[in-house]
Amino acid sequence: MSVNVTINGKTRSFAGDPRTSLLDTLRNDFRLTGAKDVCGEGFCGACIVYVDGAPRASCLLPIGGLDGMAITTIEGIGDVDTLNPVQQAFIEFDVVQCGMCFPGMVMTLTHYLDTNPRPSRRDVKAALTGNICRCTGYERIIDAVMSLHNNTPETVGDI
Amino acid sequence: MELNITEVIHRYQEPLSVDAAVSALGDDSVLVAGGTWVMRAPLRDEDNAQAFVSLAKIPELQAVSADNTSFHLGALATHHTLAAKAEQLPEMSALAQAAGQSASPAIRRAATLGGNICTQGFAAADLVPALIALNAVVELQSASGTTVLNVEEYIQTRGDRPSVEILTHVHIPRLPGRSAHARGLLRQAGEYPVAIASVYLELDRIDQIAALRIAVGAVEAVPRRWRALEDALIGQQFSTQSISVLAQSLMDGFTPRDGFDAQGWYRLRVLPQLVAQAFADLASQMERPT
Repeated sequence: MSVNVTINGKTRSFAGDPRTSLLDTLRNDFRLTGAKDVCGEGFCGACIVYVDGAPRASCLLPIGGLDGMAITTIEGIGDVDTLNPVQQAFIEFDVVQCGMCFPGMVMTLTHYLDTNPRPSRRDVKAALTGNICRCTGYERIIDAVMSLHNNTPETVGDI
Repeated sequence: MELNITEVIHRYQEPLSVDAAVSALGDDSVLVAGGTWVMRAPLRDEDNAQAFVSLAKIPELQAVSADNTSFHLGALATHHTLAAKAEQLPEMSALAQAAGQSASPAIRRAATLGGNICTQGFAAADLVPALIALNAVVELQSASGTTVLNVEEYIQTRGDRPSVEILTHVHIPRLPGRSAHARGLLRQAGEYPVAIASVYLELDRIDQIAALRIAVGAVEAVPRRWRALEDALIGQQFSTQSISVLAQSLMDGFTPRDGFDAQGWYRLRVLPQLVAQAFADLASQMERPT
């Protein structure tokens, strides 16, 4: 009995302990190390991936419950030649410092902007509740997000 | 690591009915709803060798519906789903706020109603005080049948309940009053509240308090109603003035818990302000056109 999932568009099979977290499976079995193993309890957001299109903390998901589901990791939303818009904005605004939180930041914000294309700064802060950064102080992250879709006077001036 | 089929099935089961889940439970297994508590067992130095019995494939536990008399919730409803559904029912504002503000968006997509109620070690569960304030009942299923209990009674006695019992549904009466939920945090968001106050309020025709339930969470080990404050306010004219002063004078019955996030004295210090905050929210709700 195996757990079969689609990861970044490819069918993958896992035959180990089904209680293993999706995060450990991604990193240790499939060598997808973009999702980071940081707090291990769902607070920091560094391990966020999409499960059937929705951002989830992969450290808290047993792989046994994911049979038949589609997983998208940071490796699956862009590449070096075709960066995701959030990734590109992070580069342009020189956002990244240590880098541990950024895969999760990109996953959270990409999904959020898909459904909320014109957020206020306050909205972006609320969306980042589950993504902790200990380097940047967040403001440049939010500046980068605000540059993408919503550089209108009423949203730029919002706090 | 390759496991044989027997080992794999034993370690992770996904029964398709509540009866099958009850049958699958044993001393060496643990129920898994959203997984947000069970998956952190190693971080709490708890046993993590138990087999998982997941409830995720039982359709009846996912259902959420409302009729004229009750709001019916399957135990596997996530905080994300609860917040969206409860927002459509004005009297369920406390539940909508509790479900919509807890933890973080990704966790709210995973954490479930049943998990929030049944996790004994989790004193700061947001949904529980809201459910107590709203006078919810829980439906429990075991091999001997179905039991229905008021949620506060269940919370107070859950440690003594049969070990092979599954909380399947929560039913909340639809009442004519309003409700509000206030949570005290050390930061703006993304952490467990140090204290919670959930309030359900009904006024009579001359704005006197006709029905009131005030539930307190995160302060003590187990959430409960604050009956001394309720008794002092029933029959009084509704006002947001001086509520925190009155609350401050009626705190003798609390045994606050110390934790890494806050000491007990601090939880008590913020609690009256949270009650006042909930009352201000209720006043604001009543000013809005219906």
